[in-house]
Amino acid sequence: MAKVVDPDTGRVNLFSEDFARCPQAGYAELRSRCPVGRMVMTGSPVISRYEDVAWALRHPEIFSSEMEAQLALGTERPMIPQQIDPPAQTRYRKLLDPHFSRRKMEELAPAIARHATELIDAFEKQGRCEFDSAFAIPLPCSAFLHLLGLPLADLDFFLRLKDGIIRPQKNRPGVPLDQLQGVRKESGAGIYEYFERTLDDREARPREDMLTALMRAEIEGERLSRTEILDICFLLLLAGLDTVTATLGCNMAYLAANPEQRRRLVRDPALIPGAVEELLRWETPVVAVPRVVKRNVTIGDVELVEGELATLLLGAANTDDAHFDDAQRVDFERERNIHMAFGAGPHRCLGSHLARMELRVAMEVWHARIPEYRIAPGETVRYSPGIREALYLPLVWEV
Amino acid sequence: MRVRVDRARCVGHGRCYVLAPDVFEDDERGHCVLIRESLTPDLEEQARRGAENCPEGAISLEDGPARPLRRAS
Repeated sequence: MAKVVDPDTGRVNLFSEDFARCPQAGYAELRSRCPVGRMVMTGSPVISRYEDVAWALRHPEIFSSEMEAQLALGTERPMIPQQIDPPAQTRYRKLLDPHFSRRKMEELAPAIARHATELIDAFEKQGRCEFDSAFAIPLPCSAFLHLLGLPLADLDFFLRLKDGIIRPQKNRPGVPLDQLQGVRKESGAGIYEYFERTLDDREARPREDMLTALMRAEIEGERLSRTEILDICFLLLLAGLDTVTATLGCNMAYLAANPEQRRRLVRDPALIPGAVEELLRWETPVVAVPRVVKRNVTIGDVELVEGELATLLLGAANTDDAHFDDAQRVDFERERNIHMAFGAGPHRCLGSHLARMELRVAMEVWHARIPEYRIAPGETVRYSPGIREALYLPLVWEV
Repeated sequence: MRVRVDRARCVGHGRCYVLAPDVFEDDERGHCVLIRESLTPDLEEQARRGAENCPEGAISLEDGPARPLRRAS
């Protein structure tokens, strides 16, 4: 098994499949041995203690979100508001937050429950499914379409382009990296084009939907430009789909492997919201967020230098014994759960309330329909490095 | 017991008004607003739950029985 801290060089390696499958032991090693480590290959800093990660997230003037272009996945400009720092970011958030409030997201719950039911209808009688492709991928994509008021018929189109950007290697084995960058760019262009067309349509025929609202919205008396709206749409697509897909997969893999915990949820569905929070903490599918160091700063005894790209390891922070009672235990009734699976500080995930609603509804609908399931005998769940998506999660149940 | 919210620290995680809906509510942005500042004893437990689950530490309780927010190390 690849070690998270290389015994010879002391460098940190987060990109093995072993680590993606079960990162918690690696996190503990990082926190105790090198709370501010240096990454293999690049030597860039990796921060793993709760206190340090939280501090960095709350100091955007030192840990900036304004990334170099090479990190911007197929985008032509920074994504709004994720890759912009306060105070400009604050103005966008004031405008966007109301569209993503908990109240607004709860209004989508019945539609998400219906779609979850339809997805399950398609495979329940077979007694098996590959969870990622049959459920975890389509459900958040349909939520995104509902949210923006786009036709459900465009689901496959979005899935293809989204994968072209986030996982261009998918379905393209052996294609060299520089060519994959081309796939990224093309997919990005396809998304810009789609939204251009849709915005043209809303301009001609306004509707009661988010895109129309964005076109009418004003910041300090000024409307958003077409470019700004496109950049926002791009972010919503990239940030909203993969992350919830990954979280659904991590949750189901955990519950399939831990039947006592699962049966508690089945017996008492009121535990589901707490379970969603605890699994966000324990699994932290969005393992880390990047920040650019704006000025030299010392954390612990490590000096970070201006211009370095720091990795804030949310997963390690969320399992830090110094900040959670009994941190290594998964407790659906945890009284105090201040996890940062959605980040913290000004960039707290815009879609956190959407994600929570989707996760809760999915867990409720699934366990009412298929309470008993397990990982198919003889099979191994495969996780992707980076965002921990259970790319292959074969589940079976009695019919 | 009294409860206070540091609105400058709140970023809208929304844990408080989900866990303690009789003490906190959300404004249009989903940030925390106090429903009541002064708590009757029956609401204290709820308020404490909401306060200690704020990832930003934006909520404080006063004149209440002390309970450490961080485990002593």
